Amino acid sequence: MGSAHSVPAEMRELADRTGFTSEQIEHLHRRFKQLSRDQLTIRKENFDSIPDLEFNPIRAKIVHAFFDKRNLRPESDGLADEINFEDFLTIMSYFRPIEMNMDEEQLDRFRKEKLKFLFHMYDSDHDGKITLQEYRNVVEELLSGNPHLEKESARSIADGAMMEAASICVGQMGPDQVYEGITFEDFLKMWQGIDIETKMHVRFLNMETIAHCY
Amino acid sequence: MGSRGDPRRPATPLLPVLLAALLPVLAVLAAGTAEARATSETQPSSASAMGTGTPPSPSGTAFEETRLHVFTLDYPHVQIPFEITLWILLASLAKIGFHLYHKLPSIVPESCLLILVGLLLGGIIFGAEEKSPPVMNSDVFFLYLLPPIVLDAGYFMPTRLFFENFGTIFWYAVVGTLWNAIGIGISLYGICQISAFGLTDITLLQNLLFGSLISAVDPVAVLAVFENIHVNEQLYILVFGESLLNDAITVVLYNLFKSFCQMRTIKVIDIFAGIANFFIVGIGGVLIGILLGFVAAFTTRFTHKIRVIEPLFVFLYSYLSYITAEMFHLSGIMAITACAMTMNKYVEENVSQKSYTTIKYFMKMLSSVSETLIFIFMGVSTVGKNHEWNWAFVSFTLLFCLIWRALGVFVLTQIINVFRTIPLTFKDQFIIAYGGLRGAICFSLVFLLPPTVFPRKKLFITAVIVVIFFTVFIQGITIRPLVEFLDVKRSNKKQPAVSEEIYNRFFDHVKTGIEDVCGHWGHNFWRDKFKKFDNKYLRRLLIRENQPKSSIVSLYKKLEIKHAIEMAESGMISKVPSSVSLSEYHEGKIKPLSPTEMENMREILTKNLYQIRHRTMSYNRHSLAADANEKQAKEILIRRRHSLRESLRKTNSLSRERPAPVNTKRFLSLPKNTKLPEKLRVRNKTSSRVGDSSDSEMDAATTVLNLRPRAGKILRDQRPRQQRPPPEFQVEWKNEVDGSQDGQGEQQEPSTLPQPSIGFRQPLLTRPRFGTLSREDLTADHGSARPVPPPRLVRQASQGERQRNKPENEPY
Repeated sequence: MGSAHSVPAEMRELADRTGFTSEQIEHLHRRFKQLSRDQLTIRKENFDSIPDLEFNPIRAKIVHAFFDKRNLRPESDGLADEINFEDFLTIMSYFRPIEMNMDEEQLDRFRKEKLKFLFHMYDSDHDGKITLQEYRNVVEELLSGNPHLEKESARSIADGAMMEAASICVGQMGPDQVYEGITFEDFLKMWQGIDIETKMHVRFLNMETIAHCY
Repeated sequence: MGSRGDPRRPATPLLPVLLAALLPVLAVLAAGTAEARATSETQPSSASAMGTGTPPSPSGTAFEETRLHVFTLDYPHVQIPFEITLWILLASLAKIGFHLYHKLPSIVPESCLLILVGLLLGGIIFGAEEKSPPVMNSDVFFLYLLPPIVLDAGYFMPTRLFFENFGTIFWYAVVGTLWNAIGIGISLYGICQISAFGLTDITLLQNLLFGSLISAVDPVAVLAVFENIHVNEQLYILVFGESLLNDAITVVLYNLFKSFCQMRTIKVIDIFAGIANFFIVGIGGVLIGILLGFVAAFTTRFTHKIRVIEPLFVFLYSYLSYITAEMFHLSGIMAITACAMTMNKYVEENVSQKSYTTIKYFMKMLSSVSETLIFIFMGVSTVGKNHEWNWAFVSFTLLFCLIWRALGVFVLTQIINVFRTIPLTFKDQFIIAYGGLRGAICFSLVFLLPPTVFPRKKLFITAVIVVIFFTVFIQGITIRPLVEFLDVKRSNKKQPAVSEEIYNRFFDHVKTGIEDVCGHWGHNFWRDKFKKFDNKYLRRLLIRENQPKSSIVSLYKKLEIKHAIEMAESGMISKVPSSVSLSEYHEGKIKPLSPTEMENMREILTKNLYQIRHRTMSYNRHSLAADANEKQAKEILIRRRHSLRESLRKTNSLSRERPAPVNTKRFLSLPKNTKLPEKLRVRNKTSSRVGDSSDSEMDAATTVLNLRPRAGKILRDQRPRQQRPPPEFQVEWKNEVDGSQDGQGEQQEPSTLPQPSIGFRQPLLTRPRFGTLSREDLTADHGSARPVPPPRLVRQASQGERQRNKPENEPY
């Protein structure tokens, strides 16, 4: 299925923009074709054809992230109906591993980009804040794999986590203060201890397109 | 500092005293046993009477009459177990001794101190006996001392981390060990060719054999040093994993070269046989381990009737895997590691909480004792006459060990870095190279050499000991300052946070999802695949279903979490109640969660978030995670106090009609609001919570529900008693809680309490009921792991009634 070779110049531009090697782009392009059934764009329904994704408890969030315009290009909002290959690559580029030759500033930006992506997955109503309700939804989805666990405890966990977030980000709150939700700055603060740049990556190396698509 | 130092001060001088007292005893015993044995052999009949103080039976007569001895001493009879016990006792006491002075273990690794004690003991025995002290028997080491340590390491191995780095670990273990063995062997052979050193009689094969046994990085030594310096988990698992896996290659190389040394001619076929042997040894060991691991898991499926012997199976099967592998000359270490890693997950779900704790403790204890004994024995065995010192050989061995290790790590890392997503930095490489400690494995292997084939065995022994001591002492002591100096990334030891746990899980799913989308079989993909297979077949086969235990446990934990949150809302109990002045109580108040609550939440998260991604804490030999029992006991205590507070607040809110915040964004009010969204009034929230917490528990739910309709009637009956005076009410409270804090709360209460609330609450909390409840609580506090819902639930029931009936009661 490797018939769809892009024009080299275009490819180079894509490689520059997303940081992938041309080989990786080729692989991803093949996959893209497979998912879109040789169309130029992917729609949400196309993701239904991935059998492995079916059991993922947060699959809706993952698929959603692909169509979230905030992830696709800066200064935009809303949901896209379909994405083209470039957008697909952009999303994938959030999962590139760090490179050895990155300096501090690049690393920082890299890290922020990754976190922003995650943040958008949490913030489903696009208001720049993760509210308790959104947080609860996430935890409930996460726990949905276990049928024995009731929603109640998922809620409690989300509540506890939210409380924690509040105490980390705001510190001791005054009696009348209300913590409305986690902003991106707070989100950054909470992730400080976790070295996301070494964790949030998928190996795009030696990718083999597999015929797991029907 | 002063307060901390004081209790230690009297204890510190105890250490030398203890040791001094124990050393001669052991030395004399060791010396004495030899004599006793000698005498008992020459005159066996009188041996039992020797030194006993019973009058010697009249000799000379042909038929000796046996008289009843009043007091006899038969040391040879108990000699072996007696000495073993003494050794273990000594080792444990020495361990206690080191930890009396808290700074010592942080400067010098325990392994060094233990070796020193061993050396001292060896010296005393040697001085008393004028011959070599009993050398640590290699059989004892390989069959009894090593397995517990490896079992412990395998059982508590951070599985996920291990498999994520499996490629690198495997690379280091196999290629690295080969590289070291051959490099050291050949370069030493080069040194031996220089006739000035007087080593020309050592052949190439002997050198290679020596190289293969000295190149084995020792898991025991590595663990002893690395678990104290807290480098980042990835680095740790690389060094530790390598030391575990390289056993297979060491065993093969050692046996291969040993048989080559004994052979006259070596054919090419032998070399290929050796290579094939490696795969058989390694893979065979792993297969045996996995097989027995599954059998063990399967066995524990049926042990629920005989809980007492449950923990035993874990040990029996894993030990069986080890000796089975040894029987076929496969890698026992690989077998037992594989066995432990396989069974761990399933066994944990099958066995009861208590058995699980027992397994954990027993494993830690065994491995800890084994490790201590190994180091002491190493010290003891060092002293003796089995040494041959050759400056050139010894110092060049040491030099080559260091050089080849460093070179090997450097070169191999350059290659593996191409394949790693996160390459290893230069600092990491340095620590990996520097962490290549040698230990008891090479020590035992070198003693196993047949002296007939190896005339220079003593030289080998000396060289091995020097290398071990150098690595354990010099490298072991300096690695901590080096890690600090190089600023190697440490494992973050910060407070575990619930949100972090959630993020990590979330993360896993995102990564797996993305891999699925791009159709790539990466780590995450395989993990997910295995999980599905596991859920579909393995778990069904190996884990007993419909187990009452798990549901109760999860239920209990649920309650705990709910409580933790409620507590956090109402302000921590640790605060003095008066400071949380009840009339000023605001919903939006935020208190940091206590570590206990954090732990509880984490536990639920780790247990329930997508089963397979069970993350183990990083391995530590000497400490166990906080015990569930303690936690439960604590929880019960907290709960009891909390229920008191709860009722206090409730009566308060009764008197003071406070509008409830309706804003959904006030997340702190939400837990209550959303549980029963249709009722937003404060006092109703409590009743809704009662319903909620009880609906998770079937029995409880029914009691509460049954009680509710009756409550009105009960209250009506009790109404005539409304005019009860407050003092008596206070007595009632004291019945349940005796803390001074609660006393303060009480005192506050009567003043704010409106009369009616006393009236209808009081009769529900009758004296006898409280008595039994508090007694139950007490027994629970004393360590029973049984979840104890009753106090809380009965309490809730009464609260529920109260709450429900408040509206009707208010007019009165």
